[in-house]
Amino acid sequence: MASSSCSLLHLQPGSTGSIYRIEGMNPILRRRLADLGVSEGVKISLKGKGPFMGPITLECNGQLFAIRRKEASRIEVNVS
Amino acid sequence: MSSVALVGNPNTGKTSLFNTLTSSYEYVGNWAGVTVEKKVGSLKNGAGKLIDLPGIYSLHPLSRDEGVAAQYLIEESPEALVNIVDASQLERNLLLTLQLLEYGKPTVLGLNMIDVAKARGIQVSPEILQKQLGIPVLPLIARTGKGSGEVLTVLKETSSIPPVSFRLDYGELVEQAIQAIEHELKQTAGLPNHRWIALQLMEQNPVVLELLRKRFDTGRLLGICDAVQSELQSRKLALTLPQWIRSTRKEYIHSLCLEAMDTTAQKPHTLTERLDSILTHRYFGLPLFLVFMYAMFKATFDWVGGPLSDIVDGFIAGPFSDGANSLLQSIGASEFTHALIVDGIIGGVGGVIVFVPQIFILFLMISFLEDSGYMARVCLLMDSTMERMGLNGKAFIPFIIGFGCNVPAIMAARSIEQPKDRMLTTLLMPLMSCSARLPVYLLFAAVFFPAQQATAVLAMYVMGVVFALILCKLFSKHLFKNESSVFIIELPPYRMPQLKTLGRSTWEKGKGFLRKAGTIILAGSVIIWLMSYAGPTGFNVDMDHSFLAKFGGLIAPVLQPLGFGTWQAGSTLVPGFLAKEVVVSTMNIIYHTPDNAGLENQIAQVFTPLSSISFMAFILLYIPCLATVGVIKKETASWKWTFFSMGYSLALAYLVSLIIFQGGRLLGWS
Repeated sequence: MASSSCSLLHLQPGSTGSIYRIEGMNPILRRRLADLGVSEGVKISLKGKGPFMGPITLECNGQLFAIRRKEASRIEVNVS
Repeated sequence: MSSVALVGNPNTGKTSLFNTLTSSYEYVGNWAGVTVEKKVGSLKNGAGKLIDLPGIYSLHPLSRDEGVAAQYLIEESPEALVNIVDASQLERNLLLTLQLLEYGKPTVLGLNMIDVAKARGIQVSPEILQKQLGIPVLPLIARTGKGSGEVLTVLKETSSIPPVSFRLDYGELVEQAIQAIEHELKQTAGLPNHRWIALQLMEQNPVVLELLRKRFDTGRLLGICDAVQSELQSRKLALTLPQWIRSTRKEYIHSLCLEAMDTTAQKPHTLTERLDSILTHRYFGLPLFLVFMYAMFKATFDWVGGPLSDIVDGFIAGPFSDGANSLLQSIGASEFTHALIVDGIIGGVGGVIVFVPQIFILFLMISFLEDSGYMARVCLLMDSTMERMGLNGKAFIPFIIGFGCNVPAIMAARSIEQPKDRMLTTLLMPLMSCSARLPVYLLFAAVFFPAQQATAVLAMYVMGVVFALILCKLFSKHLFKNESSVFIIELPPYRMPQLKTLGRSTWEKGKGFLRKAGTIILAGSVIIWLMSYAGPTGFNVDMDHSFLAKFGGLIAPVLQPLGFGTWQAGSTLVPGFLAKEVVVSTMNIIYHTPDNAGLENQIAQVFTPLSSISFMAFILLYIPCLATVGVIKKETASWKWTFFSMGYSLALAYLVSLIIFQGGRLLGWS
């Protein structure tokens, strides 16, 4: 199966991808994500999208958390 | 006396364990960032002190509460550490554990939430962890207290906890650099473990760097770090030194977890995900939140709180006052004493005590929200609205706590990452209607809107939030540099709050109210009563000629345009600054009524529906109370911002009440 990379935002809710690249993200947020174990090569799932273009819910290593769409678009994932 | 510190990731149950191991009680909840201060308690077996620290992910602080924990470890020297880890999140938690082991103090690993892990199909072997890390590992369920006895036994003799022998190899290059730094540090006394300092320095930990800067020139040390970083880069091993250190640790943890953890039967968070699909639904989420809030108010005021409050009122006005009257008569108390006790103390304090049921039920609801895990979801739901206003959704946790009391709410703002967001949350907090303002609304709502009490009171809360949002936009645009806010929130699994925890947490919040009734409200009532009893012509004057009337009369003209320009209304506002409850106490004293029914009659004669709305809005907005001012000063460390918070709220209150009253009159209301 060929794998392609796309922004995390384009994942279907409920599906999983592995992080390929994180670029241009606010450094504070980048650090916080690293604290939660979110970094290149890690599997991440999109769980749901919030109201009014609000934050999206993600799951990584069994931890649920939410970030804004704008920031989530900085995360590129590989889907196989 | 030995001291032991509790360290671990946020929301792993450190405070729950602290509450079981010590005889003190601290605030617990189900979100990351409940504990924002260092808390000290005595271990139950008298073995020494236990220190509860805010949760941290690493020793590299981002928010202010994390700074507290990092600072503590660096500047103070606990004899031993208890590292609490969440067994269902082991990989992430161990990242901090490794740094704590490098810190070199005797450490015990508390493997918490093994029940949660088991329920999710994760088996962790404490034996393998113990063998690999070389420290005692104790399985725990802190919420129920299971396993805490073993922790207590181990802490009894801190000297018997074996010294840490753990040492992670960071590769030849980095190890050489560590040695070089250790060599530089050799002459300096009073530093924590040198290897640890070296590693933290390489990770660019600002707190450690600051500590070293105070002692000597750090140029050479940083030179060593730079050299090893360029070497790593030229060999294409890593992009930066911190990244190298991090990935070395992660690799080790990964292999450790493969050995110690059985995740073959792992299940997703089924219940939490199912609840989230409804509660954070993109269309239903927000309406559901509003329905919950409405139900919460309905329960507090109409269904449960109101009827209970009537019983208390009946008791104070009836048997209690009568008993006090006949007792005072039978012991032959002077007229002065009699009036002081019945009109001043029973009237003033009793007038507030009748609202205890509503206040406790409100606290119970807030405790339920805190413990269920829903708080974090509210932040998620509100974030897009808050972002438009220049703040982030995380401010909603402090805001909801603020409905109980503004003081702990301002402290809770510490867990917000960005300084600007923290400051805005602190400044806007006084607009969150706290439980002390509740008696005023309840009193007026009962008189003028008896059929829609819950709605009327909810409207005041909503008004506070709406003004907070509007001012937030204004302040963030004009008072602060335009830095965009960030938002990230961990969503803990939902759980059913335990009765024991709920009861405890409600009581701890409510206790403060009762204490206020016995101190500041009591003192305020006595002073107000004295001022109403004495006047320029002597004692026992007609109240219209008392000092209180003179004093209230000074303010009254200013309040005239707002619709309540009487000395009676004016004289409630100044003592209300001490504690908002005193507003109602003062009214009870002025209108000479020991019970609520009497007071409601009096108020119906003095206020109109329109002026009552204007008055309620004024009480909602007019000034943060003395205790809140104190904590604003402490948290902002600036008199300028403290006075600003008082000034803007006073101006806002005046403006809003003016618009309500004058606008209402133009529309022909009365």
